[in-house]
Amino acid sequence: MKELAGRLTAVDPDAGAAVRVIAYFDALAESRAGLEALVRAAAVLAGCPARLLDDERRVRVRVEPDGRRLDSPLPPEPCWPSAALVPGGVPALWLERPGGGEPSVVDAVILERAAGALRLVLDRTRGRAPLSPADDPALVETLLDATADEQARLHAARRLGLAVDARARVLAPLGGRPRLLVVGDPGTPGAGPHRGVPVAAVDGIEGIEGRVGVGPVVSVSDLPRSWAAARVALRFTAEGTARDPGERVVRAEDLGGLALLAESVVPGGDPPPDVRELEKAAADAPWMLATLHAVASTASLRAAATEVNVHHSTLQDRLTHAESLLGWPVRDPHGRLRLQLALTLRRLARG
Amino acid sequence: MSTMVPPPFDPELAAVLEVIKDVLPREFTMDDIPALRQGPGIELLAQLDLTMGGTFEVEDRPVPGPEGAPEISLLICRPKEPVRPGPLPVLYHVHGGGMVVGNNRVGVDAPLAWARELGAVVVSVEYRLAPEHPHPAPVDDVWAGLLWTAENAKEIGGDPDRIVLTGASAGGGLAAALALLARDRGGPRPLGQMLLCPMLDDRNDTPSAHQMAGLGVWDRTANETGWTALLGEQRGRADVSPYAAPARAEDLSGLPPAFLDVGSAETFRDEVVAYASRLWQAGGEAELHVWPGGFHGFDGFAPQAALSQDCRAAHVRWLRRLLGE
Repeated sequence: MKELAGRLTAVDPDAGAAVRVIAYFDALAESRAGLEALVRAAAVLAGCPARLLDDERRVRVRVEPDGRRLDSPLPPEPCWPSAALVPGGVPALWLERPGGGEPSVVDAVILERAAGALRLVLDRTRGRAPLSPADDPALVETLLDATADEQARLHAARRLGLAVDARARVLAPLGGRPRLLVVGDPGTPGAGPHRGVPVAAVDGIEGIEGRVGVGPVVSVSDLPRSWAAARVALRFTAEGTARDPGERVVRAEDLGGLALLAESVVPGGDPPPDVRELEKAAADAPWMLATLHAVASTASLRAAATEVNVHHSTLQDRLTHAESLLGWPVRDPHGRLRLQLALTLRRLARG
Repeated sequence: MSTMVPPPFDPELAAVLEVIKDVLPREFTMDDIPALRQGPGIELLAQLDLTMGGTFEVEDRPVPGPEGAPEISLLICRPKEPVRPGPLPVLYHVHGGGMVVGNNRVGVDAPLAWARELGAVVVSVEYRLAPEHPHPAPVDDVWAGLLWTAENAKEIGGDPDRIVLTGASAGGGLAAALALLARDRGGPRPLGQMLLCPMLDDRNDTPSAHQMAGLGVWDRTANETGWTALLGEQRGRADVSPYAAPARAEDLSGLPPAFLDVGSAETFRDEVVAYASRLWQAGGEAELHVWPGGFHGFDGFAPQAALSQDCRAAHVRWLRRLLGE
């Protein structure tokens, strides 16, 4: 029963042609056809050679209207009808239609449909072009979503340009999108930071402003865990100001058992009694919180005095005042632990 | 049968199917025959440039039909400027169309392309169609055409000892029948038989026939229609002639070298594979290709697709080896 129906050859520019073009590219996309098949479709439907050139991803495909793949060393002519793969991008797909001028309606539909389908295949198979991964929060979201199945997460990782065996951590900046930090030996292909992925230098989070929670280094498939830990760590961070003394960057690995506290304090909820006492004391003197933080976080009162830049006797006076407001001593081991916990709970209780 | 899940179509071919599905004979019944004969496919084929850009000299030649039957028409395409002197190989082409539709233009572009490349004469035979002309009218007509071609080969620049039988679908089945007839009647000795997605078995009951029901091109329903048109109530019964349905032949020895191909996603897959196996088992020579994800006649409907290019290249390579060209 060969050849009884019309063959798929160059479409006539009649009313039905555009519909046929659209149906054909839709079907190709649905059956997950590759780049060559899509460029071939453009060439066959247009009845002239078609070529795809994507220098960023080093892709070159040229197909003759009879379907043969035949690359050409010559650059595309500027007058050929062309399309970009992304809105506003550089031309990447051409129909080698000599003469130039405005493309016909059918050529325009072929270019538009082919470019759209090619873009999806390129994104799927070659990873996104540089600049785009950072602009694709959906991929990062999938990668870090513990409820997404592993295949989906690994797929997202590939599209973001992460090697399957890469190790990475997630950073949780306050009010920002998650950031991936790929770690490993930069000499090992696939292990170093990948182009296109927004990563800071290995072991460095320099360049990130504000409060940051740092998740542990994990395998690619384990990144949701690093992301969850980074968000917990973020709650332990502080602005590092007089009103909010503390560490701007907190690593989840350093929290140990303190991380469990995060589960017991609801942000924005009723603060525990010790935190209320702390707030009362803070309202009494502008130096209060910074001084107490210095006492809680340094090895000695002398070091604490240096930290807040006051004389040792001044510090002793301040602490006597603070202890009367708080209602518990801060200079013995138990009181110091209670102070550390109160300062920590205060950060956790913030809205 | 453990599973009825059909093999997937090749991605490119799936897209072609999507576009042409409305004009395709899929689940096709006797009532659809007139519409198919009037359909756009035949009309398109009438526009085919048979000279292939001036390469061939084209003639429609009426020749004697079977005894007591009307004349038949041979489409004869001879190279205008043969690449070498002396008689050329002859590609004797039998068109497809499920035994019920088509004419000697249908599918002839493929042998013309081979002939252009290899330097050969193409003879494409017209035959009476079922159900108006049931078995043995079609095979008798193509046999009469073959006899004329062998006897008059020199006149058309052909070599009677180098006739290759070729046909797709129903034409492939008829070409296989011609090879059996030539062996059994002691007629011309074809050099080879090229059976492209051939229609071989009226029983229509293989796993692939069931698996592909309602899918692709020429499904089990359409196939039943074609065979019933040819054989009437005899279809599927015990004593069907092997010259109608070559799969019924009990002896497949002593046949010329065969090329067989078929898509993995079509009704005919299993009967073609079985026929090739039986040719080997009978001590014959056969080359078999099962094109993955191919639907019936895919290389004709979508000659540009990657799979079609490989398929068509395989046709030429086999012919080149066979002919020693």
